[in-house]
Amino acid sequence: MTEGRQAAPKPRRRVKVVYCGGCNPHIDRTAVAAELAAGGLTAGRPAAESAAELAAGPAAEAAADSAADPDAGTGATVHLSGCPRACASDHLLVSDDPSAVVVAGELVDGVPTPAPELAPAITRKLKE
Amino acid sequence: MALKTPQEFRQSIADLHLRIYMFGELIEDYVDHPVIRPSINCIAMTYELARLPEYEDLMLATSHLTGKKVNRFTHIHQSTLDLSKKVKMQRLLGQKTGSCFQRCVGMDAINALYSVTYETDKAKGTDYHERFKEYVRYLQDNDLVADGAMTDPKGDRGLAPHQQPDPDMYLHIVERRDDGIVVRGAKAHQTGACNSHEIIVMPTVAMRAGDEDYAVSFSCPANAEGVYYIYGRQSCDTRKLEDNALDVGNAQFGGQEALMVFDDVFVPWDRVYLCGEIEFSGALVERFAGFHRQSYGGCKVGVGDVLIGAAATAADMNGAARASHIKDKLIEMTHLNETLFSCGLACSYEGVKMPAGNFQIDMLLANVCKQNVTRFPYEIARLAEDIAGGLMVTMPSAQDLADEKIGPIVEKYLVGQCDTPVIDRLRILRLVENLTLGTAAVGYRTESMHGAGSPQAQRIMIARQSNIDHKKELAKALAGVGKPWDKGRAKVPTAVAAD
Repeated sequence: MTEGRQAAPKPRRRVKVVYCGGCNPHIDRTAVAAELAAGGLTAGRPAAESAAELAAGPAAEAAADSAADPDAGTGATVHLSGCPRACASDHLLVSDDPSAVVVAGELVDGVPTPAPELAPAITRKLKE
Repeated sequence: MALKTPQEFRQSIADLHLRIYMFGELIEDYVDHPVIRPSINCIAMTYELARLPEYEDLMLATSHLTGKKVNRFTHIHQSTLDLSKKVKMQRLLGQKTGSCFQRCVGMDAINALYSVTYETDKAKGTDYHERFKEYVRYLQDNDLVADGAMTDPKGDRGLAPHQQPDPDMYLHIVERRDDGIVVRGAKAHQTGACNSHEIIVMPTVAMRAGDEDYAVSFSCPANAEGVYYIYGRQSCDTRKLEDNALDVGNAQFGGQEALMVFDDVFVPWDRVYLCGEIEFSGALVERFAGFHRQSYGGCKVGVGDVLIGAAATAADMNGAARASHIKDKLIEMTHLNETLFSCGLACSYEGVKMPAGNFQIDMLLANVCKQNVTRFPYEIARLAEDIAGGLMVTMPSAQDLADEKIGPIVEKYLVGQCDTPVIDRLRILRLVENLTLGTAAVGYRTESMHGAGSPQAQRIMIARQSNIDHKKELAKALAGVGKPWDKGRAKVPTAVAAD
């Protein structure tokens, strides 16, 4: 790479989105995930264990200090439950893992958060 | 201190020298008063069962604060398993006492305050949570009973606390001092208040601007200066003064309610857990109510077990047990009772770990549980009365049965199934009477209606969490609402056209 040419893409870190089963969601979980993607998390794909891994883009990289290795699997996790029962995080409103964010309906880490504010709140948490 | 024995509990309550008024008089020896003693026996049962290995799994828990075994009634729930064991413990105690055993309100109060104090501190920079943890440790270490005191008299229901003509209609702070606060007011319908070592006061409604003096939570000893109790009457309560077990129905156990008055009571700061933070009073009310609505999925079920058993026994003694409609009614009673239990367990298994670290029930299911409790015990009681027959409310007194001249006549005409002694038949019928319209009906019926909040309170909570928009979307998607309609493809079915 030489100066003046377009910079190579920044290394990406994976942010894993773990969904609950979605039996009675109070929020649109996929819309929240899509909003995260639109805000810098460039893509999402469901994984075999009902999870999706989102590759982090520039916005999320602000939160991703250890973003060097996309395959390291050590990035943040967003537990995305549709209701306050928090099934995606095994009924925890706040995770023991400090790099994880728990969404349970209109709660982010146990704090009431209106649905339209969920994605921004998650992003803020990821940056903390 | 180790777990108390039932005898130690009784003595510790006597040693408080509470100011209790009944029938216009100050009751001195309240622990042995015939009207009060059955309710003391109920709480004593929570101590007795805790000492028996066969009940330890439900009755004891390991404190997250000290690592010691404590009575579950003083425990902060640490898992969904803890929540479900709470419900099962309550069913067990309902079975053993056939009554409200009164110790649940304190348990539900400490679990609600545990998370609310944590969240208040996070938002306001206060230090309520640490002092509250110290208080819970004190309750656990000394195996104490705490009364959870929430319901204010409320006066004009159309007015906010600070708008009431008489400011004492809601308990409130009348003075803030360097060393604490002074409070005045009352708490109504206080279950087990005269059996408790401690009082935990909470606000009764969500507070708004202007209500700051009413947004107060604290604890104090049950015998704090300025606190006194006016004992509540129960249907048929004076039968307990007649010194005969038969007509009481359940001579050993009973519930208890009182009007608790705070006449300028001083509370030191280390016992204050909310003081003017109006925005957290609503959460405290909702969480306490949620836990208490879960409780009814256990305690009322245990009492229901006793009532179903009494009805079935009455059918046996009437010689009617083989009738198909009797069997069907007993099935219906069981179905209703187990539905309540299912709700209590469901809201437990769907509980969540709060940011404070404790576990809380699922609010929607807890409210559904209590809404069912406002109905099903009434139907179970109706069916029990149906099965028992009218004799349960028309039979002569124990004195008539014992009378030398009248007694044999009573026995002759009240005989039922041939092998059943008449006295046993009457005992069972009196138990049904006790549970459905005697002293225990306070707990089994009207408390099922209004305890832990009246039916409309649950319906408001259910409405908030009902997720109707999602249900609409499901229906619209299946019905094809909003999709274009091709009229040309609406054809008469071939078979019909052929006709």
